[in-house]
Amino acid sequence: MGNKQTIFTDEQLDAYQDCTFFTRKEILRLHGRYHELAPHLVPMDYTNEPECKIPLALIVDMPELKENPFRNRIVESFSEDGAGNLSFNEFVDMFSVLSETAPRELKAIYAFKIYDFNVDNYLCKEDLEKTLNKLTKEELTSEEVELVCEKTIDEADLDGDNKLSYSDFENMITRAPDFLSTFHIRI
Amino acid sequence: MTSSSSGGVFNPAYHDSETLEVDRRDKRSWTHHTNPYAGEDPAWWAERDDAEPGASSGGWRGGESFSMGLFSTSSGTNSWQHDANPHTPDSSSHYRSAAGLPSLMTGGMTMRWRGMAMRGMSMFPNADPTHAALAEDAIRSEVENEEQNLIKELIALSAGEQTRKIQELPQSFGEKKNIRRQVMAFKSSTNSHHFLCCTDCCRNMSLSFRRCGNGIKSARQTLKLWRGIMKEIGGRFGSSVLTYFLFLKWLLMFNIFSFLVNFGFITIPLLVHDLSANIPSNVSFRGLELLTGAGYFNYTVMYYGGYSNETLHGLVDYNMQLAYFFTIAVYMVLCGIVLIFSMASSFKKNYVLSDPASSRAWQLLCSWDFSLTNERAVRQRKNNLRVQLKESLSERAEKESITLSKELKQVGIHVGSWFLSTCLAVGCGASIFYLCQYGEEQAMDTAPWSLLQEAETLLVPFVVSLMNIVIPLFFSLFNKFERYSTHRRQIYALLIRNVLLRMSILGVLCYHWMNVVPQKYSCWEPMVGQALYRLVIIDFLFLMLGSFFGEFLSNVIGTKLQPRLGVPEFDVARNVLELVYAQTLAWIGIYFSPLLPAIQMLKFFILFYIKKVSLTRNCQPPRRSGRAAQMQTIFIFLLFFPFFVGALSIVAYTAWSLTPSEQCGPFQGLNNTFSVVSIWIHDLEAIPTSDWVVWIYQNVIRSELFYFLLTLIIIAIIYIFWQLTQGRKELINLLRQRIINVSLF
Repeated sequence: MGNKQTIFTDEQLDAYQDCTFFTRKEILRLHGRYHELAPHLVPMDYTNEPECKIPLALIVDMPELKENPFRNRIVESFSEDGAGNLSFNEFVDMFSVLSETAPRELKAIYAFKIYDFNVDNYLCKEDLEKTLNKLTKEELTSEEVELVCEKTIDEADLDGDNKLSYSDFENMITRAPDFLSTFHIRI
Repeated sequence: MTSSSSGGVFNPAYHDSETLEVDRRDKRSWTHHTNPYAGEDPAWWAERDDAEPGASSGGWRGGESFSMGLFSTSSGTNSWQHDANPHTPDSSSHYRSAAGLPSLMTGGMTMRWRGMAMRGMSMFPNADPTHAALAEDAIRSEVENEEQNLIKELIALSAGEQTRKIQELPQSFGEKKNIRRQVMAFKSSTNSHHFLCCTDCCRNMSLSFRRCGNGIKSARQTLKLWRGIMKEIGGRFGSSVLTYFLFLKWLLMFNIFSFLVNFGFITIPLLVHDLSANIPSNVSFRGLELLTGAGYFNYTVMYYGGYSNETLHGLVDYNMQLAYFFTIAVYMVLCGIVLIFSMASSFKKNYVLSDPASSRAWQLLCSWDFSLTNERAVRQRKNNLRVQLKESLSERAEKESITLSKELKQVGIHVGSWFLSTCLAVGCGASIFYLCQYGEEQAMDTAPWSLLQEAETLLVPFVVSLMNIVIPLFFSLFNKFERYSTHRRQIYALLIRNVLLRMSILGVLCYHWMNVVPQKYSCWEPMVGQALYRLVIIDFLFLMLGSFFGEFLSNVIGTKLQPRLGVPEFDVARNVLELVYAQTLAWIGIYFSPLLPAIQMLKFFILFYIKKVSLTRNCQPPRRSGRAAQMQTIFIFLLFFPFFVGALSIVAYTAWSLTPSEQCGPFQGLNNTFSVVSIWIHDLEAIPTSDWVVWIYQNVIRSELFYFLLTLIIIAIIYIFWQLTQGRKELINLLRQRIINVSLF
């Protein structure tokens, strides 16, 4: 509105504002961050929607993601090719879902995706074991790991198929009001 | 009822879940498309469709029809359950085998559609290419079908709702943009059939309106204070410590608003009209005023006494009495409304039926704080989680058998602690009472006061703040001896005791100000204002000292002298209570000292930086994670219920019942402050065009019948909502039972 910028057209910015939870300024700032990750790859002019993707290795190097145990899964869940290469749209999408204003249901869907390591639509025991190992740096013994995963499935599995479907997961999320504030990355 | 708050109905994944039995026969196509995790696929749906020929066409919008559909679905259960189990093991194995199909990789189908298509492929394990192509076409057309349905749904909504729904779709940005474009194109094409120019400019207006709204949101963001610091704190200490700083920022906003309003409506007109302050010649500025607020400040616009009761004649006739009264009243009412709304929304977001923090599933899946970015903090959090998990695993092995004598001992300890705490609180109140009395005997009404006398006035605030710092330490000590069943109960008990202490002290002080001070002084409101000013300043000094002793010294003791204690954690509950108390003082003081919010603003501003520095240097991240959201609800509730309501009642009592002082202030000579309004209404009666205001005043505000009816209506509404929630709770239990029953087959 005030300052003239040449990175996006007004229609593009309107589309971003309508489809994500970010305002105009934040989108421009996000573009700045995206550009800094790979200045030679990312054009400054997005008006003709260039096809450019930043590889996974550069994105997980961001200070907001660097120390997160799930950084690879987070980036993979938002990438179209499943390998973690993000275009700017996917980058914005990722931080939009992880922002403060995203509703719980949307966050729950993506949290489920992140924890689903083998992408089979269920949190089976292997997924839970991998999650636990990432969270405790593999310092628990394997019996303890198994015990914890079994207890988790016992507690959360409602339909008795020995793995957690999305509805089991969501049921658990509704009983954890902190989820909205913990599943949140500030950028 | 179908707003995003009732997420269940509008959540697409909710409808698609296999484990939840819902009346999905009509709307499966809508929800199938938007859930990336659609467990079913089109071919399988087709099968199910045949099994239920007599589907009732119940709409699914709204929770009520949802429940009706549930009870009418009895025939369909067997067929889809039977299909569910054999379906799922195939999908994972066939995910990889179906990867060779080339046609799916092109054609702009995104990962998510591809996933669904893969699951579709898995139904036909021996697919030959033609068969596969047919299935793929079927899937593609089905997908497009759903997209059309989604667009139709979106068109029916208003623009704001549309935007929100699009934002909440769990699809990639490209798809959302596509959907949005189609919705907008459809809307514009339908509009072109009707009155062209009218809708054209309507559309342009709504577009520019939305752009304006977005611009305002952006502008508000640039004013966002401390964004970088909050991010750093959240990154190092997690979300629960961050709630303290967010709360501080929120309270600061209250004070900024209050200052602007008071300064703008009350002080500026006076200053503009009469720049010279009427200070007696024998009073000069001594440094002590900054602490005591008396002396030189007494005659400035800082206090009630500095304001005149005349109608200022300038560009317009400005009635100072009405301005003073209405500014304060409107500000308090607005505060109350904001508090009620934030309390309600926080409660709605964070209310939880049971405490999940002890369950393993929660610890594993919901407890990780994604906002942590500091390496050491992450390492520490991982350690804590490991320790907690180990603890809870070993807890199962040893279950303490509690004998009767032990339990009696525990109960005895509880009763003893509560008795002692109450005694301490009452004792503090009584001692403040006698101290105030002593202080009044020493003080005199006439100015000027000697330096010693002014310094003596600092005694009461000093003792109050000392008590506020020392007594909670005793409460923590009692807490160590007691054993509570949950950590939450422990925090609540501690909070209640602290609140009791502060309420008793404030209660005694207010009693003194309302009953003793008006009798003694001719110009009593500024006296009360000064007392509050002193309380605020000394409280600030003690908060700084408390930070020094509480955190710095604890750190030194914990690391050098007694390494067993360890580095201290930041005590969020205690600090938030201190903030709440400070804000209460400001709220009480607004009537007596309109510029007190300015002092409060400065105080909070400086406090933020002090606490931040103290936190980063001296404290470690909290060991127990979780419960930040519930604590936030409790804090807002505390802010509202004893403290804001108390402050409001004090101000209301002052305005309603106490006689304003005769010689100073805007309400001199009146019987009570509220009579300002009666006088104004009386004046308005003379003007014929403002009959409605007079009517409202006489028949709505002053009539008891109105309030009686209003109370009855509110009680009825509360009862209806309460019954609704009871019904919903029963429904939840019923559904849960059905899930379990269904899975047993």
